[in-house]
Amino acid sequence: MHSEPNAFTVILLLPDGEQSIQVSRDSHIWDAAFAAGIVLPALCHQGRCLTCAGRLENGGDVDQSDSVSYFPEDREAGFVLLCTGKPRSELRIRTHQQTEMRKFRRQKKLPSPYS
Amino acid sequence: MPEPQVVKAGDVTQRVGVEVISKRGVDVPKLIKILIANAAAEFASTYYYYTILRMHLAGHEDYKEICEDARLEDRAHWELIVPRIYELGGELPNDLKAFHDGAGCVAAKLPNPPTVVNILTLLLESERCAIRSWSEVCDMTFGKDPRTYDMASRILNEEVEHEAWFIELLAHERDGKIVPSGHFRRGDPGHAPYSKNAGFYNP
Repeated sequence: MHSEPNAFTVILLLPDGEQSIQVSRDSHIWDAAFAAGIVLPALCHQGRCLTCAGRLENGGDVDQSDSVSYFPEDREAGFVLLCTGKPRSELRIRTHQQTEMRKFRRQKKLPSPYS
Repeated sequence: MPEPQVVKAGDVTQRVGVEVISKRGVDVPKLIKILIANAAAEFASTYYYYTILRMHLAGHEDYKEICEDARLEDRAHWELIVPRIYELGGELPNDLKAFHDGAGCVAAKLPNPPTVVNILTLLLESERCAIRSWSEVCDMTFGKDPRTYDMASRILNEEVEHEAWFIELLAHERDGKIVPSGHFRRGDPGHAPYSKNAGFYNP
């Protein structure tokens, strides 16, 4: 019988190096990082403002259903919102991508708060 | 950040009010972006949508009045923020949709179904986003830009009170628990003791 894993390894590519954390499938990645002592950027915690943006390095699956503002274009480009994203696979995520994600949203003419 | 220029005598293209806070370390272009996003949240994400939420609190006249206080105080915040944006050399987008889409907090649209618990939950989470947004402005300006800090601090005071109100109401309505806000009624609707410089409750 096949069962879904309850937790995934998430490697965070931070400005000052890599850190690996375990994130349960019910947890937001930002919260798991915080619990591990890693304080990532964040503001609204609604999946709206893009402050917590990250970008997947090698693909992977993130459940963004808790994000109030997340678009198929974001997913195609590999952008994820860590405050409201839950892992569905092993992940490598480059953090601190708010500037890049806002630029991408502007190019796509999508909402880009704080731009 | 480029070295700020010293404003020349008679120059109306530059502002000393910007020069001095830039010298103290405020990233003014970033601050303007945040103020515009926060103005959009106060006006478009909350004031406008709270109008609709309030209409749907029929049968809960007490909640309706408290929602009204929050609604009008958010409008007062909007009125406070806009002059500061222009003082800093910024401007509002000349397009309402662009302004709305730039809000840093989600629009408080009528939930489906529009139950009192769903509405109170939405109100609570909207206030929480506002607290986070205004705390960011306080952090950016503390000790550097007293005028923006004072404004942000006044707004933050009221957002913190709003959160406390909606915690109290939601805890009662959803969980049957008493979680006091610690507050009593405002004077007139939208009294805004901090952002309108009115007296606050201190008998």
